Amino acid sequence: MTTSALRYQPLGINALKERFFSLVAPDLPNEWEVEEAMEELTDADPALVDEILSQVPAIWPVSNSLCYNYLGQALHALSCFPAAELGGWVNETLDRYEKGGLQAAQRFMTNVEQEFVCRLRGIAGLRFDEVRGRLLPYIRGLSGRELDLAPAARACTDGDTIFLPHKISMARDGEQNFLLYKFTASFQWAFLEQGTFFPDSPLLPETGEEAAGQLALALFFDSLAQPELAADLYLQLESIRARAFLGRELPGLVRETVDLLPDPLCRQETGRVARLLIALQCCCLTGEPDGVGLPGVEDSDLRHLLQPEATAAHSLALCRRLYTRLCGQVGEYHSPEPLFFQGTMRLDLVAAARSRRRQELGERFVDALTTALLTLPPSSGGPEEKKRPEGAGAAGTEVPDVALILDGDGKGGEEAEQSAFLRVDNEQVVMDEELEHLGRQVIDEFGFLPPRFVSSAAGRAGRAMAAGDVGASVGEQPLVAPVTYDEWDHRRGGFRKSWCIMTEKEIPVTRSTFITATLARYRGQIIRLRNQFEMMRTTERFLRRQRDGDDIDLDALVESLADSRAGLPPSDRLFVRLARDERDIAALFLVDMSNSTQGWVGTAIKEALVLICEAMEKVGDRYGIYGFSGMRRLRCETFHIKHLEEPYGETVRQRIGSIAPQEYTRMAPAIRHMTARFADVDARIRLLVILSDGKPEDYDDYKGEYAIEDTRHALLEARSAGIHPFCITIDHHAHEYMAHMYGTANSIFIDDVRKLPARMPEIYRVLTS
Amino acid sequence: MAGREIRLDAHRITEEPYYLPLGDEIRIAEVSHRCGIPLLLKGPTGCGKTRFMQYLAWRLDRPLITVSCHDDLSTSDLVGRYLIRAGEAVWMDGPLTLAVRAGAICYLDEVVEARKDTTVVIHPLADDRRELPIEKRGELLGAPPEFMLAVSYNPGYQSVLKDLKPSTRQRFVALNFDYPDPEREAEIVEREGGIAPEMARQLVRLAGMTRSLKDSGLAEGASTRLLIQAGKLVARGIPVRRACHVAVTQALSDDPELLAAIDEMVSSLF
Ligand SMILES: Nc1ncnc2c1ncn2[C@@H]1O[C@H](COP(=O)(O)OP(=O)(O)OP(=O)(O)O)[C@@H](O)[C@H]1O
Ligand SMILES: [Mg+2]
Repeated sequence: MTTSALRYQPLGINALKERFFSLVAPDLPNEWEVEEAMEELTDADPALVDEILSQVPAIWPVSNSLCYNYLGQALHALSCFPAAELGGWVNETLDRYEKGGLQAAQRFMTNVEQEFVCRLRGIAGLRFDEVRGRLLPYIRGLSGRELDLAPAARACTDGDTIFLPHKISMARDGEQNFLLYKFTASFQWAFLEQGTFFPDSPLLPETGEEAAGQLALALFFDSLAQPELAADLYLQLESIRARAFLGRELPGLVRETVDLLPDPLCRQETGRVARLLIALQCCCLTGEPDGVGLPGVEDSDLRHLLQPEATAAHSLALCRRLYTRLCGQVGEYHSPEPLFFQGTMRLDLVAAARSRRRQELGERFVDALTTALLTLPPSSGGPEEKKRPEGAGAAGTEVPDVALILDGDGKGGEEAEQSAFLRVDNEQVVMDEELEHLGRQVIDEFGFLPPRFVSSAAGRAGRAMAAGDVGASVGEQPLVAPVTYDEWDHRRGGFRKSWCIMTEKEIPVTRSTFITATLARYRGQIIRLRNQFEMMRTTERFLRRQRDGDDIDLDALVESLADSRAGLPPSDRLFVRLARDERDIAALFLVDMSNSTQGWVGTAIKEALVLICEAMEKVGDRYGIYGFSGMRRLRCETFHIKHLEEPYGETVRQRIGSIAPQEYTRMAPAIRHMTARFADVDARIRLLVILSDGKPEDYDDYKGEYAIEDTRHALLEARSAGIHPFCITIDHHAHEYMAHMYGTANSIFIDDVRKLPARMPEIYRVLTS
Repeated sequence: MAGREIRLDAHRITEEPYYLPLGDEIRIAEVSHRCGIPLLLKGPTGCGKTRFMQYLAWRLDRPLITVSCHDDLSTSDLVGRYLIRAGEAVWMDGPLTLAVRAGAICYLDEVVEARKDTTVVIHPLADDRRELPIEKRGELLGAPPEFMLAVSYNPGYQSVLKDLKPSTRQRFVALNFDYPDPEREAEIVEREGGIAPEMARQLVRLAGMTRSLKDSGLAEGASTRLLIQAGKLVARGIPVRRACHVAVTQALSDDPELLAAIDEMVSSLF
């Protein structure tokens, strides 16, 4: 029986005829004409037949021939659009009939796609880019991880990204189409959640480290004579499982969506296997496995897939059984059209994503380990101690002997804390949390810790040491031990942990007439600034419990009366005074010392610093000044010019005079360093003023969007640490990236360097009053 | 004196508050109480810190005096002051003094919100001296063994400026609270919200989803308290999606995209 795979009992031609006659009564149409017209419907789902017949009373009175035509076309039409649209389609058909006669109406009916569905979509279709913003946080919340969404011809997922159709237009309106998008995304998530691509099954071949970059599942399918058939069967079975999973997890979604999904039964597939796959699709839609009638498979086996405890291995076993029964029966196999939300199974993409993930994880681990080795305290036998002997030449690179010791599961248990060590040249150092975490991730992913990771990190650390790439350059003493900062990688939406090594250094002081010249040149301006800033000392504020003042402090008075009645000496601080002090502001100035500031810009910056210092002395705010530059992530530098509490004197002036362009503009680590410096400063307002001449850029790949996003993120971090950053950029014109990087309210650009010295104190004044 | 008794009685917890233990916190707290060590409760908002203190107070059979700290809270507000009553100066104990005298539990909620100079008055009380100097009265009040000091703070959303000073912090035994695991959280929501187990489980799922939105810009995910509130609305006939929208979605964010995403989670789950 061809209908063995169907879930329903077809009506049969006699019952159909009877229904028809009753609909057109009292007319008595020719019996064989009716029979011929209804032939298409004899095998159809009675529910669909109902829908189709319900339109007959509207068509028959208009034209009998049109009605017979309609009966022949309706089933095909319903495979193109949801049943709810049938009324609209019939109305259009009648319209065409009235205007262009039977032929026009027939043309309209046969070209469902061009004549009707296209227009339907044109009105109601929803594009991927319209839904991404809303779906992305949804899917991330759902999955609890940073899944991405991207458009593709067909829905699928590689485990990192869920691909969704460019456009969905099956449903009538935007909301419903959105729902279909959401359902599709959720369905793909279900595949990931239930481990569709990684069944834990004895049927799968052993793959070791899977050097070929193939999934065990793919190898299994490829080992069969008809891989597509097996894969399709597996996908259908897993879809049934996914549908049941969604029914449990997201009942609201499933309830709302089922009615919008197209009925695959409308499709005219010939061939037993294709029909069987469609029957499986139906089962996926309805969640009702009874009567699917799979060869060699009991309904109860299929039903088991609906249970929460069913696994991908069950599907695979079932797939295997079905496949063995079916593979001989099809000559050349063609996959039937998948349901749009199940899309295709792209094991190649899954494998590629896994390789990518592994490689990235490996790199991150190696980076973290390299940094860890480079920042080891000297006492622990780190490479620091083994400075190559004087004059040993570049060949003196020495690779430290490194081993990683990771025991326990890293979760509970007190001993677990003790079980992550780094052993460098036979000395054990406790690993930082991040490195330990990465190490455990590596073991999770690879099953072991590939020794090449450790050796490559040790090698890199050794080379960097030998090349003097780290920390202070020769002859300059770092002020404090180098610290590491994370760097924001916007592509990954995460931090590269301990990525930059920051050294704080002293500026070598050179003698020059710069300061005296500047003071002389701006003499008038400085006097005006000092007056202005003196005025700023004042902020208005009521001081309570004062000895004298403008008004009586009632609270204090009552309390002192009470105190005196109680025999205590009453307080004489009974007044409120409007006071103008208590600015309680701490400011750090961070200035760009990259080599692009050579020349005018650098001079203007230095002059501006002198002016601001002169002014700051009057206002009394605490302030510090640091310069920044550096080259590559392992040698980020800030230069101390004036610490927060340090008095502004001759030495500070000399340091300002000695500011000289250095290397590149990796601004973010410097910002992070300032944030750290601010951490233990207690002030009402903590202001970070950054002076730079343009885009952040470093010698390595640190540029463009990456650098902008990292800088932006560093500023966000500062802000969330309660610091107000403000950026002054010296450039010929404002660039779009600036507003994005700094935030419009927190930045200003100055197009003429000569204006900077005057503008800078002005800006500070506005910012703090 | 009689007045004080009445005031204290109001702080006595006579009926066992519902508290579902999540670990060994009760035992730790009891032992700390016995040793006279103060407690520091850390944890996100609405995760059960206050409820835990109520339960502990009931268990130890001590009155619980709670002070919500704010940046205008002065030392007198905690310790006490003289008032004039009918021409007489009358000393009025502040909540902290009251608690010390009565051997009660004094719970300073959101202690980081208090000014640093205010926080310092608890120092002698929080170390092994266990005494409270009342300067105005020239009195040094020793705490009875039953007295316990507990403070709470939420490490999540405060600025660095508001971190606890190490000298304050290092006087306490610190208990870290977090949202319970899904099963127990569902149990709590079911009970406190008065709703069916399945509904509670779905609410907890919703919370889990919102909590993983941190990287997408949500400051804090839905707390147990929000779930209970949503549950209560549902139990009283508000349609579940509407209840979640007003009690969870809107309470969490103002960002249109996040609001839409959370509502999508709601409509998927219910
Ligand atoms: N372990 C628990 N047992 C019983 N109820 C709990 C538990 N955890 C949380 N709750 C419920 O959550 C609600 C909120 O908890 P609570 O008010 O104690 O939060 P909190 O941690 O004090 O929050 P906040 O920091 O905002 O003050 C309580 O009213 C209680 O119903
Ligand atoms: Mg509370």
